[in-house]
Amino acid sequence: MTRPLRIGHLYPDAMNIYGDIGNIRALQQRARWRGVDVEVVAIEAGPAEIAACDILFMGGGQDRDQSRIFRDFTDFKRSDMERAVNDGAAVLAVCGGYQLLGHHYTDADGNQLEGLGILDLRSSAGHDRWIGNVVVEAAEELHLQPGTLVGFENHGGRTWLGPGLRPLGRVVVGGGNNGEDGGEGVLHGRVIGTYLHGSLLPKNPALTDWVLAAGMAHRDGEGEPATLSPLDDGAELEAHRRAEDLAMGERGRAPVPRRR
Amino acid sequence: MTPDLRLTAAVASAKAAAATSRLLRRGGGTTIPGDVALAVDRGTLRKLAPKLRGGTVLVTGTNGKTTTTGILAGALEASGERVLTNRSGANLVYGLVAAAVADADLRGRPRSHAAVFEVDELHLDRAVEETRPRMVVVLNLLRDQLDRSGELETTAARIGDALRKLPDGARIVANVDDPLVAGQVRGLTGLVPIGVDATDFLLPGLPHAADARACPVCNAPLAFSRVVLAHCGTYSCTSCDFARPAPDYALTRIKAPSIDTLDLDTSDGAHLHAHVGGVYNAYNVFAAYAALRTLGVDQQQAARGIEQFQPRFGRQETLRLHGRTMRLLLAKNPAGFDEVLRTADELGHATTYLIAINDRVADGRDVSWLWDVDFERLARTQSTPRIVAAGTRAHDLAVRLKYAGVPGERIHVETDPQRALQHAADTATAIEEVAVLATYTAMLDLRAVAERAGAVAAFWQDGKAAP
Repeated sequence: MTRPLRIGHLYPDAMNIYGDIGNIRALQQRARWRGVDVEVVAIEAGPAEIAACDILFMGGGQDRDQSRIFRDFTDFKRSDMERAVNDGAAVLAVCGGYQLLGHHYTDADGNQLEGLGILDLRSSAGHDRWIGNVVVEAAEELHLQPGTLVGFENHGGRTWLGPGLRPLGRVVVGGGNNGEDGGEGVLHGRVIGTYLHGSLLPKNPALTDWVLAAGMAHRDGEGEPATLSPLDDGAELEAHRRAEDLAMGERGRAPVPRRR
Repeated sequence: MTPDLRLTAAVASAKAAAATSRLLRRGGGTTIPGDVALAVDRGTLRKLAPKLRGGTVLVTGTNGKTTTTGILAGALEASGERVLTNRSGANLVYGLVAAAVADADLRGRPRSHAAVFEVDELHLDRAVEETRPRMVVVLNLLRDQLDRSGELETTAARIGDALRKLPDGARIVANVDDPLVAGQVRGLTGLVPIGVDATDFLLPGLPHAADARACPVCNAPLAFSRVVLAHCGTYSCTSCDFARPAPDYALTRIKAPSIDTLDLDTSDGAHLHAHVGGVYNAYNVFAAYAALRTLGVDQQQAARGIEQFQPRFGRQETLRLHGRTMRLLLAKNPAGFDEVLRTADELGHATTYLIAINDRVADGRDVSWLWDVDFERLARTQSTPRIVAAGTRAHDLAVRLKYAGVPGERIHVETDPQRALQHAADTATAIEEVAVLATYTAMLDLRAVAERAGAVAAFWQDGKAAP
């Protein structure tokens, strides 16, 4: 018998701002509706069972909590996270969690918080905070239907991807990674980093299924994720469409990145 | 004494602006006169406030300001003194100024004896500087719309900074059941700590929407022995000596005979009866009581004032519409939503809900917070409620309810407020109340529709800010 799909929720108490818990709910429910057993494991400070997880999720936190988490993450989680990623576990990291995947985060005073360095990206504090609805044209290799992602960004940090990395998508409305290169988030193998809240997954069911399928492939030791059975996504897709319309109506008011 | 010409000009032009604004029906004129007055004389409030012989009381915190301010102002007024207040929720500095100029005569003298103002958390600093209050009541610091207020830590620190600027002799009535509040008022002079010792309505543990899980002093985890709501309760740090301070006034018993009444016992032997319901309102009623006692009002008079209070603007009002009774429950953030859901379900046993979510600036543009609310309650409860999802973000709510486990056939999406109210009325039976839960501007929309149908009066008519 197959074991339950294991979702590791990193620092669920400290890194739970902006309703990011919705991502866990989306994964859990969409697995259950397909008869897939799910187990959500809270991964707290200190040594933890990261390598046994098929999907790892981390949200953003309040500044004070986040600096505490950065230290714990680099002290206790680095090698396990590296192993999990190399082993093909799926990772979804939002906002502070996304920044943490990179080499470091430079705050407004110039202090460098060391990250995990799993992905070749760097973040630093920007001059202003970007707050608003976002529409992203998702990377083609995700084969999402519909092909856009909708969400809400609220971040002062700017992120730059190293030369070997590609973004999760191209910004249509909003700020994205840095407002200069038009990218939003990062997609590398089964690792996704993004600034999008909303929560992100519930209104983007195709992306949820992509993460689920990747996690299931890890659980089953398969190279290629299987196609999941379809669900009735009427409510989700209607919410997606409405959110996209709403954001498109705000085009020009939100920070629109320059394209080079 | 020669009249201050600049001040009298400010008062006169603000009054003219208020009249014009009402004439044009631009929303009751609750803040525009404040802008006008400040444009003429930046010192308007600074000059008017000291002339109030009974002084100024400021009420702040993320949840419960309007209710607490209403109870406090009403109870003080019941003792025979005229009290100036910003009742219609205009709680930024301009709103305070507008209320003060409306109260003043054309020579720049207040007609009232004292002022009780509700103040937005981020405007407390300026309100303290301009009014030099004799008391500040700090209710709580629960997660609010983050895209407006910034993060909770920052808000807490700003409230702490404002409190340190209080004039000598000022009192701080603080709900120390909230560790974020307790952390900010530590060691301040004039402190009157208050809290709930009653064990009648406790939660099994910290709900998801709780924010203060870490010690404000050393950052180690807090251990809660009692949780009353959100992160409010009795706690101590697992590492340092920070703990909930012993309250000067404690609530020793909470009874909720119905959805809209409370019977409360206090540690100084008072029995309070209030016409507001739900555990969250027990905190508001009690904060008003402790403030009244600290101001020197005797027990009986305080209890009488509390009993006279009737809820306002969407805070547990009922209205008749389409042959049904609708109970309006305003909720602005996850903790507030958890509490009104708890009240509607446990005390009201509601089976028909209209839940309206807007994403305008006053509601918070980001609706991510819906995922922090315990909507799972609506799937868990025995009453199998039917829910009309409304507001500009009705579809987000529908998705949230679906993932909470509420069956699709019990959810009806209707973005138009008029049709949403009609559908809710059609869904409910004649004998049951519809529980209407809405964010701030969604409540405005619903009330506007109800008002057109003759169900309620415009909300600013009870506000003295718009004479």
